[in-house]
Amino acid sequence: MDEKNVLKMLGNAIETYDSGAAEKAAKEAVKSKVDPLKAIEAGLAPAIERVGDKFEKMEVYLPELMLAADAMKSAMTVLMPLIPKDKKVSKATVVIGTVQGDIHEIGKNIVSNMLMANGFDVVDLGVNVKTSAFVDEAKRTKAKIIGASALMSSTIGSQKDIIDYLVSLKERKKYGLMVGGGPTTGEWAKEIGADGWGEDAASTVKLANKLSKG
Amino acid sequence: MTQILDVMEKSLEGKPMSETDYQLRSFAPKVKEKVREYDIRFDPKAPIPDDGSLADDMFGAATELLAEVGAYCTSTARVISFSEKEIRRAVTEAPKEIELGEGRDRKRLRGRKVGDKTPPWCLLGAGGGACSSDRSFITLVEGYAEIPETNGITTPALTRVGGMRIRPASPLEILGAMRNAALARETCNRVGREGIPIMNSLSTAESDIAFAAALHPKYGMRRSDAYMICCMDPMKADFARLNKVTTALSLGGAIGMCEGPLLGGYSGGPEGTALSNIAHHLMGILTYQASWILPFPLHLRYVSSSCRELLWVISTTGQAVSRNSDIISLNLNYTSAGPCTTMCLFETSASVLAAVTAGLSIESVGVASNRYEDRTTPVEPRISAEVGYAVAGMKLPDANEIAVKLLAKYESKLSKPPLGKGLYECWDAERRRPSKEYRTVIRSFKRSMSRLGVDLKGETA
Repeated sequence: MDEKNVLKMLGNAIETYDSGAAEKAAKEAVKSKVDPLKAIEAGLAPAIERVGDKFEKMEVYLPELMLAADAMKSAMTVLMPLIPKDKKVSKATVVIGTVQGDIHEIGKNIVSNMLMANGFDVVDLGVNVKTSAFVDEAKRTKAKIIGASALMSSTIGSQKDIIDYLVSLKERKKYGLMVGGGPTTGEWAKEIGADGWGEDAASTVKLANKLSKG
Repeated sequence: MTQILDVMEKSLEGKPMSETDYQLRSFAPKVKEKVREYDIRFDPKAPIPDDGSLADDMFGAATELLAEVGAYCTSTARVISFSEKEIRRAVTEAPKEIELGEGRDRKRLRGRKVGDKTPPWCLLGAGGGACSSDRSFITLVEGYAEIPETNGITTPALTRVGGMRIRPASPLEILGAMRNAALARETCNRVGREGIPIMNSLSTAESDIAFAAALHPKYGMRRSDAYMICCMDPMKADFARLNKVTTALSLGGAIGMCEGPLLGGYSGGPEGTALSNIAHHLMGILTYQASWILPFPLHLRYVSSSCRELLWVISTTGQAVSRNSDIISLNLNYTSAGPCTTMCLFETSASVLAAVTAGLSIESVGVASNRYEDRTTPVEPRISAEVGYAVAGMKLPDANEIAVKLLAKYESKLSKPPLGKGLYECWDAERRRPSKEYRTVIRSFKRSMSRLGVDLKGETA
């Protein structure tokens, strides 16, 4: 198959939210000797960005966004091992999760998938994540950014705990720290010493772009 | 009758499934399938539709949705399945009325019907909105208890204990929940409404341990209060929530399950969100053993319930539930705008109008998306109640006409709403009334409502 058709096949798989087709298209890219970096940058990335844009405009909804991200992951599993280690694929690694004691996941899932759609490597730790787990995982994955979500007024204190923990380890400056979730505000982010507040998914992506360059 | 041990058995022995598969590959596509199969369509021109067959179809579709995908237990990673027969039986057996409160504040909470002239049950307060101190908690709860229409109190959530911000499932949260209960009861006593039921127990208690700890009688909670337990979207439970259910059942308290499907979330657009909202009612009386349901559908972007699509979701849910069951349901609404703005009052009026004319009662109100501490006053729930009383009995086409006119006043501002003023900037706690500026805003709002044909109580200058 020629390169143009392989790239189209990859994009279609993402935009039809089909993990199986994405994996198949990635294998086809390998078989057809398409540069894996090009397969990602010219095939997968524009398609997932289009899905992200549609989600922002509420033309598609959370399930489509998450399924498209799943399809992207399936293709990446095939392509990533073939990319030389000195080539940079993602803008930065973001470790993200919902803080300890809080099991709300929707907002975190939206942000996690939108970050992925915008070229970040996302390590999603899920919900009810211990303070130390955010930091341990950021160290392990050499992440540049930590994202902490909280939906309850009784759980946002755990966002401060992550920052305090990093400060006490003298590692605060190693990571950009962004907070978000229902009861959080820009003032709250400032008060606890975060690097920014994600009011919604779009503003969080902008913030992550800024922090990834810092 | 499905009981808590049946729920546990289903949780332990149901079909194993990952949470992602349940949400993305079972629930979400089935919602879409039902919307297509029943040809359910949102009509932007009719945010309050008058279509009984649509409502009945939606109830049928929601029953099938629950029967075909079940609820989900995150603790066991299994589906909690219910047959259609079990669901229909639970609907028939659901309480038609419950008695709450004590003394002269003891009242019957009943399911309402479309066009019902009976005023809605008014569960008034902050809808769990955050407050920074005991002082602001007391100011707010005093104000709520003094509203004549208040049938039950929904307290704000304390965020600090002993100067420390509450941490989940910690001694701070337990102490916060105990303090929340004790302060709420004491504050109602102060204004002579000792018997009024507290219905969102306990907004500071997110964890099961804090919930259980604060139920000790010495903190003032009673069997005649109500016990709200929040479901996770979509149709999920876990052992912590079922622990709360078991604890409340042992006390003999009436459980209210709150559920907030997000428009734009797992249920998709307005049609799917409404279906999910209705299915949650059925899931709640079964899984959470609920005597009453508290839906609070929200818009993913605006984090409020006053946009056109959400009015449709509220109205169709109310019509579907009240035409096809006697399930007691109170819609909780959120505004985008903050206190001391006409927009906030128009928003809450629109949501209350949609709910009450469709056969629902109300919990009101989460102000400014409930995002900010101390950015709510007793005015907004009071206005909600006045509107609820004024529109009870109104026909759906008349309500739709008013809703469209209300939307024209604020719809374009939902993405950048005015946040208004904080509690003590627009509420005079000493004189127990709104500030002069806010009184001017309220009078202007009431004049506008009167021009729309909704006459509210007179407002002092």
